[in-house]
Amino acid sequence: MDEKIHLDLEDFSSEPFLETFIKEIQKEEAVFLIGIFVALLLVILTVVFFGNFWGSSKARNAVLLLGLCDSGKTLLFSRLLLGKFVRTQTSITESSATYKSKSDRGSSWTLIDVPGHESLRVQIVEKYKAVARAVVFVVDSSVFQKDVRDVAEFLYSILTDSIVAKNAPALVVACNKQDVSMAKSAKLIQQQLEKELNTLRLTRSAALSSQDGPVGGSVYLGKRGKDFEFSQLPSHVEFIECSARGSKAEDGDADIDALEKSLARL
Amino acid sequence: MLDFFAIFSKGGIVLWCFQGAGVTESFTGPVNALIRSVILQERSGNNSFTHNALSLKYKLDNEFELVFVVGFQKILTLTYVDKFIDDVQLHFRDRYKNELEQRGPLKFLLNNFEFGEDFHNLLREAEDSSKAKAPVSMRTFDMSQKSQKTVKSMIETKDGDKSKEQGGKKSKNAKKEGVSGGDQTKAASQTASKKAVENGSDGLTAEEIIERNRAKFISKQLGGGKPEKTSKSPKPPKPKGKEKRVWDMGGRNTGELDYSGTNGNNSNDAQNQDYEASAEPLIQVDSMKGDLRGVDYESSDDEDEEVEEEERVVVAQTNKKGAKKGGFGGMFGMLKGLVGSKNLTQEDMEPVLDKMRDHLIAKNVAAEIASQLCESVAKKLEGKVMGTFTTVASTVKLALQDSLVQILQPKRRVDILRDVLDARSQRKPFVITFCGVNGVGKSTNLAKISYWLIENGFTVLIAACDTFRAGAVEQLRTHQRRLNSLHPPEKHGGRPAVQLFEKGYGKDAAGIAMEAIAYARNQGFEVVLIDTAGRMQDNAPLMTALAKLIAVNTPDLVLFVGEALVGNEAVDQLVKFNQALADHSKTDKPRLIDGIVLTKFDTIDDKVGAAISMTYITGQPIVFVGTGQTYSDLRSLNARAVVSALMKA
Repeated sequence: MDEKIHLDLEDFSSEPFLETFIKEIQKEEAVFLIGIFVALLLVILTVVFFGNFWGSSKARNAVLLLGLCDSGKTLLFSRLLLGKFVRTQTSITESSATYKSKSDRGSSWTLIDVPGHESLRVQIVEKYKAVARAVVFVVDSSVFQKDVRDVAEFLYSILTDSIVAKNAPALVVACNKQDVSMAKSAKLIQQQLEKELNTLRLTRSAALSSQDGPVGGSVYLGKRGKDFEFSQLPSHVEFIECSARGSKAEDGDADIDALEKSLARL
Repeated sequence: MLDFFAIFSKGGIVLWCFQGAGVTESFTGPVNALIRSVILQERSGNNSFTHNALSLKYKLDNEFELVFVVGFQKILTLTYVDKFIDDVQLHFRDRYKNELEQRGPLKFLLNNFEFGEDFHNLLREAEDSSKAKAPVSMRTFDMSQKSQKTVKSMIETKDGDKSKEQGGKKSKNAKKEGVSGGDQTKAASQTASKKAVENGSDGLTAEEIIERNRAKFISKQLGGGKPEKTSKSPKPPKPKGKEKRVWDMGGRNTGELDYSGTNGNNSNDAQNQDYEASAEPLIQVDSMKGDLRGVDYESSDDEDEEVEEEERVVVAQTNKKGAKKGGFGGMFGMLKGLVGSKNLTQEDMEPVLDKMRDHLIAKNVAAEIASQLCESVAKKLEGKVMGTFTTVASTVKLALQDSLVQILQPKRRVDILRDVLDARSQRKPFVITFCGVNGVGKSTNLAKISYWLIENGFTVLIAACDTFRAGAVEQLRTHQRRLNSLHPPEKHGGRPAVQLFEKGYGKDAAGIAMEAIAYARNQGFEVVLIDTAGRMQDNAPLMTALAKLIAVNTPDLVLFVGEALVGNEAVDQLVKFNQALADHSKTDKPRLIDGIVLTKFDTIDDKVGAAISMTYITGQPIVFVGTGQTYSDLRSLNARAVVSALMKA
């Protein structure tokens, strides 16, 4: 047993090996060594440079269509891209396509339609929140009174996300389904959301932390001490009215001019 | 016959739809319900779903991200629907292969999918094929085997000669058959009973038994043959027909059964003995000698064993098949799997899914839920095209992880503080009821939750509706005292933060709850926490009592308290609790369990499967997680952390 251990120690001792290695290097000429070092440095620099370059080219150019279930996101998606009316069902997966905005510059964004269902939206938003340049939050104006708390909770979870708060993408709240007679106006929706988010600031910060520490952002919306208003947010917020279905559903066009204009201004 | 048929993409765009004649309602509602309850809750294992009067069947096409749904009236039983959907799917794919292979969702918007004619052709074919199969007509008596036997061969002779002459294939008159039919049945039953007697060892000596067994063994070696016939050579002594059964105590006169005299003579405390004997006349002395007998459930044991053996045989066969295929295509399959686009098939996924299922079960997920989950993931991935350098195992694992996170995400808003604020503005108390089986931690977690609510500035009334367990009321009173000492009344505007409403033991729990809620409304308490007694889910009277409490008092939140240590029991508990609540409520929309409190979470390190089982069964979110026994050990659920603990090797 002792002999065996002795052998192992001898195998693993690398000091004599290192010494021979260093001796060999020192035998070479200095110029050769400098050449090797310069080559290594170049390689490292290239890698870093390309890393930065690629990172910056992954510029945030995605526009996310978010909202509760049945708020009209998929129809809006189709209208914005092709002006076409389609029948829709609850989305199970996200759809993304390139959208050419109607501005003078003709810039193009990636329009991403995120399913509104509660079980799916969190995961998909996680995937795309880093590249979001703007968020179009679609609200169903006809049933807003009933859903105000759910809408506010979703909006709150997006706004307090740490990455979203850092990037501060533009927020456009599209009050959809204005063709329905009972639809609320954008102004009213804005006031109600402000009140609701005000309350949510208190209850959410008092909510229980998860097993491994607080989940989600520890961002405080707006200014402390004052009632919450959308103007207090770092991102640019706009409330507009639109109707994806339009007055004549399949035949007519949608009333989404306001939405297209704000997308053009991005 | 179909009400509607719809083809839509997974992104939500309807490609083509068909509505049956005379159907006025749009199919959007039922299809949305199908998507929400089946596909998104990972129950895609069984592919049919009922919604009101409609029955829906669906099929997922994962390669092109399409969903095919057909709906028809529930009362119709259409046999061709499954095959029909498959045919439609294949047809649609073939016809629009070019369009569907384009990338991006624009392909759904740009192209017009005119499928009407093909659909009607396929439908006509399917309906015709189902009508073509005429119902099988019954055989006439002439065609049956019984008509081939002669009457003589069936008659029993008194000397026990059982030679069955199978010859003589005479055809008989119907009348004779009718008359002899009765005789034949009687004869058949007699032969059966005689056979039983003969095969038993009654009346045979040991030598004859050995001879008979030897003959049986030889006949088995030769393969086939009826052992009863070959063992005829040493004729067994004729049994005298049915033997009269002899009872131990039967037939004797009651004089022997009267033990009163012997008792009085032998013992010293004659009176005690008398009392014992008269009070327990049913116990037979000497029946408990020896080891205690086991609990009586032999019959079900036998059935279980048979079922298990069958399953084992089937599993062995499928394993063999899988191994063979793997042997041949192993080399190429590996290379193919790494590079290029490969369609996922059921056989590819099966070994991975089996491993994942075992892994989930090892992490304390209930067995049937693990298998349902794996089936659902298989359905979601079947036919999907894998990208380059992705293995089957990684795709399946990713899909399983996604579906687990999806299950744990709450389907509705979970914000108790917000709801309590709402109730406060409406000037009525917010009522939370805790129910569960014995010993899961209802009272402890109730105290923790009231501490949390007090910290947030609400006043709490605890209703002690556990009137059964000794010490339940005192336990709550101790909690109340401690909480009040932690949050003295001076800080809460002069009133105590927590108060206990109790009426002692033995009273009706539903009545106490009603009084507690009325008291809270009068005194202006903001939250009422109702503590109920623990009860087993099989205990019908107690479940009825709980259902009555909930139906009568209509609490705002019904929380089921379950411990994280529970395994397969969780499924049974939740199903039976929900069933009891649904059965005993008198309204159309019964109050079911609204949320789950998962307790004793600190006792499991990463065997967190109980969370999955409970949320899968009820579809309700986990509202609180209890991680210890002090007041601050209350958390909310972090879906990602739980799923990563589950998927960790």
